[in-house]
Amino acid sequence: MTSLLNPDTSADSMPAPPPAGRPPAVDRFRTQSRRRLARADLLGAVGWLSGVAAVALWLADGGASGFSSFAGTMTALGIVAGLIGMDLVLLMLLLAARIPVVDNAIGHDRALEIHKSLGKPALYLLLAHGLFVAIGYGAAEGLDPLSESISLWINVPDMWLAFVSMALFIAVVVTSLVAVRRKFPYEFWYVVHLLTYAAVGTAIPHQFSVGGLFAEGTWQRWYWLALCIGTGLALAWFRVYQPLAASFRHQLTVSRVVRVSPDVFSIEMTGRNLERLSGAGGRFFLWRFLAPGQWWQSHPFSLSAEPVPGDRNRPGKLRITVRNLGEGSARLARIRPGTKVAIEGPYGLFSTAARSRDDVVMIGAGIGITPLRSLLETTPFEPGHATVLIRGHDESELFLGQEIMALCQARGVTLFHLLGPRSHGDHAWLPRDVAQAGFGLHSYVQGIADADVYVCGPSPWAASVIRDVELAGVPAEQLHYERFDW
Amino acid sequence: MRIRAALATAVASAGILLAGWQSGAHIAETGAATTTSLSSSTKSGGTSSGGGTNTGSPSSGTGSSSGNTGTGSSSGTSTGSTTAATFDGTQVQTRFGTVQVRVTIQDGKITEVTPLQLTDAERKSAQISSRAAPVLRSEVLQAQSANVQTIGGATVTSDAYLTSLQAALDAANF
Repeated sequence: MTSLLNPDTSADSMPAPPPAGRPPAVDRFRTQSRRRLARADLLGAVGWLSGVAAVALWLADGGASGFSSFAGTMTALGIVAGLIGMDLVLLMLLLAARIPVVDNAIGHDRALEIHKSLGKPALYLLLAHGLFVAIGYGAAEGLDPLSESISLWINVPDMWLAFVSMALFIAVVVTSLVAVRRKFPYEFWYVVHLLTYAAVGTAIPHQFSVGGLFAEGTWQRWYWLALCIGTGLALAWFRVYQPLAASFRHQLTVSRVVRVSPDVFSIEMTGRNLERLSGAGGRFFLWRFLAPGQWWQSHPFSLSAEPVPGDRNRPGKLRITVRNLGEGSARLARIRPGTKVAIEGPYGLFSTAARSRDDVVMIGAGIGITPLRSLLETTPFEPGHATVLIRGHDESELFLGQEIMALCQARGVTLFHLLGPRSHGDHAWLPRDVAQAGFGLHSYVQGIADADVYVCGPSPWAASVIRDVELAGVPAEQLHYERFDW
Repeated sequence: MRIRAALATAVASAGILLAGWQSGAHIAETGAATTTSLSSSTKSGGTSSGGGTNTGSPSSGTGSSSGNTGTGSSSGTSTGSTTAATFDGTQVQTRFGTVQVRVTIQDGKITEVTPLQLTDAERKSAQISSRAAPVLRSEVLQAQSANVQTIGGATVTSDAYLTSLQAALDAANF
């Protein structure tokens, strides 16, 4: 227990055993999970219906009257493509706005996954919009689409802005393609991605002046005004105001940097009002260390211990554990005590909020062990109802292994250390000798099909774990996987 | 998304689209009626003194737009001491619809410009037209020619309006 960040309070924060006669807590997590899935479904439905509503309102404002001629049909198709494309772009912005309702329902990484999957469809719709409208307008005037485009660019006010917007959208999507993105540093991608705001901004004038989206006396006007303003406010509130407010509220300051292994170190911070972050163990923040040469970079790291609220005599404590993966994290190892820290978060569903069952299984490898460490500290379960599997090449790779062992002893958790060189084939996540001896997931965990399974580790390893977990009959809503290497 | 939610979403989508289409069909009809009333406002000499009174009834037909493309057609009648003549401009095709104006000339002066057709391909175009047309009319009456500034934000409509007007003035040898 000596190496625990908060030996005294971790014992206090342990849940008291439920009094006899009360129904078991099974209903709590099942209900929580059912509600969360219902919220996720509702959000999905709202997303779909927003696109449908865009088309329906256009129809309600007389859009279908254009279908009587060829030119009108082309123009109408172009307009519909543009409407849905614009709707998708706004949805993408909302998905990236880190709205708590979205984060609590589907998790930050899933939201970004959907965000990514909408990128190309949105771009194709916007390209189709330009093409069909050029054909439609051209046909009405007896011009070919190219001359029509040139004439639109020159003659119609705000249209040149729309062309600029198109180019910006293309740039944003192309730099986000995996193959292209790998060739450039993260910062380049990020700056180009910021151009999205410029792309949306330059697209709006022609929607006002040429298109009918904001025409007075139409339904569409109110719909699009609400959607655009709502998106803008959500971004301003959740991505700008909330992080600033959290940074000021908690006043985090680096207190010390502790080396855990040659390339892994813990950064401990003190701060105020940390009771507001209780339950954030396992979730991640974006950390920005306000030191020269560092402040412009923000790093996503999970808490490796539950925050300890301060009292009159001592400040609250917070800890992250970081592996030296890149140039950025190498500089973090040399960060000086006293450095102020700005935060954004907490984000993600790698927490008690995702629980759906009474039993818990945690499987982690490498630096992925550390979020499990903080989750293990607080997520409720009865003794004997939790199993932890941690994987490393040798003992020194089981980061915070001592703390985890102490927590497991205190809370009645079955702990397995999986050590040794990696294996290949079906059970690649297990050590080679274990897999060759015919052991598998079932050898370690009984009744996994009725447990919440938290998996955290490098993606190829995690994929192998997830395959075995699914084969063991664990439904998707019980599987909680945090990608930390995006 | 789970199957039940997906089905509910699909049904809701269909319902919303249908509702939109239904109410849109209604608007599309009234939109057509508006166009008819605009193009049916025939003006004969003598009644033109009072300014732009577009009071033609929607039912009174489409006959007036028969003399289209090419040269302007005139239908002047004289009553009493003053001579008022009306001349129709050419139909100018734009990406937002067709534009055609009629000019009334009395005692060698442009006394009235009446739009027979204005851009109305989209709702917004109709709105731009209805804003631009009165401004263009008063500018033309003041300048006594088609040589006036186009209206900002309504370039296409203005250009077509003035082109049609110039054709009408040419036809009138004005």
